[in-house]
Amino acid sequence: MNYLLHIIIFIEIYIIAAVSLNLISGYTGLISVAHAAFYGIGAYIVALLALHFHTPFMLNLVLAIIGAVALATVVALPSLRLTEDYFIIATFAFQVIIYSVMNNWVSFTSGPLGLPGIPQPVIFGWVVDNHISFLVLGGILAILAYLFSWRIANSPYGRVLKGVREDEILAEALGKNTMRFKVTVFLVGSGLVAIAGSLYAVYITFIDPSSFTIDESIFMLSIVIVGGMGNLWGSVLGAVLLVSIPEILRFLGMPNSIAANMRQILYGLLLVLFMVFRPRGMIGEKR
Amino acid sequence: MLPQLLINGLIAGSVFSLIAIGFGLIYTTTRFFHFAHGAVYTSGAYFAYLFYIILHIPAYLAFPLAVVGASALGAGMELCVYRPLRRKNATPMVLLIASLGLFVILQNLISLFFGDDIKSIRTAPVEVGLPFLGARITPIQITIIVVSVILIIATALILKFTRMGKALRAVASNPQLAKVSGIEPNRTILFAFILGSALAGASAILIALDIDMTPTMGFPALMMGVVAVIVGGVGNIAGAAAGGFLLGIALHLGVWQISSKWQYAIAFGILLVFLLFRPQGFFGKRVRRVSL
Repeated sequence: MNYLLHIIIFIEIYIIAAVSLNLISGYTGLISVAHAAFYGIGAYIVALLALHFHTPFMLNLVLAIIGAVALATVVALPSLRLTEDYFIIATFAFQVIIYSVMNNWVSFTSGPLGLPGIPQPVIFGWVVDNHISFLVLGGILAILAYLFSWRIANSPYGRVLKGVREDEILAEALGKNTMRFKVTVFLVGSGLVAIAGSLYAVYITFIDPSSFTIDESIFMLSIVIVGGMGNLWGSVLGAVLLVSIPEILRFLGMPNSIAANMRQILYGLLLVLFMVFRPRGMIGEKR
Repeated sequence: MLPQLLINGLIAGSVFSLIAIGFGLIYTTTRFFHFAHGAVYTSGAYFAYLFYIILHIPAYLAFPLAVVGASALGAGMELCVYRPLRRKNATPMVLLIASLGLFVILQNLISLFFGDDIKSIRTAPVEVGLPFLGARITPIQITIIVVSVILIIATALILKFTRMGKALRAVASNPQLAKVSGIEPNRTILFAFILGSALAGASAILIALDIDMTPTMGFPALMMGVVAVIVGGVGNIAGAAAGGFLLGIALHLGVWQISSKWQYAIAFGILLVFLLFRPQGFFGKRVRRVSL
């Protein structure tokens, strides 16, 4: 039973990550492979605050979002001046740099050893310490993140985002400051994924840099692509499938060492097959 | 200290150059980021391990065979995935995502078959290097530099003088014009994959002779190649080679002041500076992007 709850909690975490990445990559067409870095920043801020200052979870969560948004500003302003290909390369670069900081700034992040014993959250007297309560907390955060993203995607602002993706020059000709739209959506997406990171940190109670690598970024991107770019339901469905399918491998009695590789191979295969046969994903954008 | 760092930089740089040239060849003809190039690189080292250590084929045969293996793998990706995608008019973004998928698949297949531990194709014991201008350099390291330089020159000659090489340069500089001049784009792109992947395989074998191999060696190596291409100027073989050497030397001189664990961060810092202030690279010409 707890095993099932555990998987659902992970699905909730990845729903938050995927809808936020969908705003950036699906709606606005900015393929970013630095999403796991912001996910990690959220996790590290929550963990460090809780461990060193024993501040309450809600405050840490807000600070994590602010921290991720601040860092995203530093990443976005230079990177978004670049065209498509080079934007990806720039996000690659930031992903590697941020990972390297987590891994190497030992006095601050304790490096590859990670941060154990992150205290579980207490929210206005509600102690979140078992699977059920984490499921509820995760559910609330995932629904809020979804509604927030939905509101953005279906507002006039969201329509401009799509306009930027389809034809940036046309959008500019219509008087839209496309740079502003690209930067703000990048900040919003990065702030949202910090929530997913915070949830991950307090749920697992242990974080280390290996959870926030380029592979993790590619995994998040696979969820968005397999689910369908520019469709938030697609991201939810993608998260459910991509998190739960690999668990089947466990039931096939595959040893753990092989299962990890098989999981990655499966993700890679899905990416290639979807690109060849169904580049719009499972549920594509409504037209 | 300084001569030693320069020599280490030269060794790293010669390998970066090879990866950069291979990646650059493919990028300029296809116009998308072939990330799976990193996994093709890794496959070169593991093919060498398979042929030389597991199958006991003599080195003079095993290593060329491994290069052929890597080359065939790169060509296979082009034929089985990229070409069908291009036929469907896929955007560069779709091709890029597919190549990320291929990268993940290949890297994990390698780790599945060979395991995650460090493998070695070194047979001779590690020796103290020969003294050279106040630094030390091992015979293997000399081999790396010499072979790399030979391969770089050979590639330059192929591009300059052979029919396929000229076609490749034509497609790189203007695909439409090349097509109306009767150059078959698909054949040229395939040639770019064969040549580029062979260079990647060769560079991986060279590096494995010096510092062994792991299944994850490809990603950082590829990234160094990409940085070298951008630093040197996209679409310019000499630039890519020079970019590789510059990057290798910069990283190793950096180690003098900063701990080597920050190597990748430094490399990407350099990349960002170039992307922002000189996206055409050291040697590239400035092009105004015109689009409507």
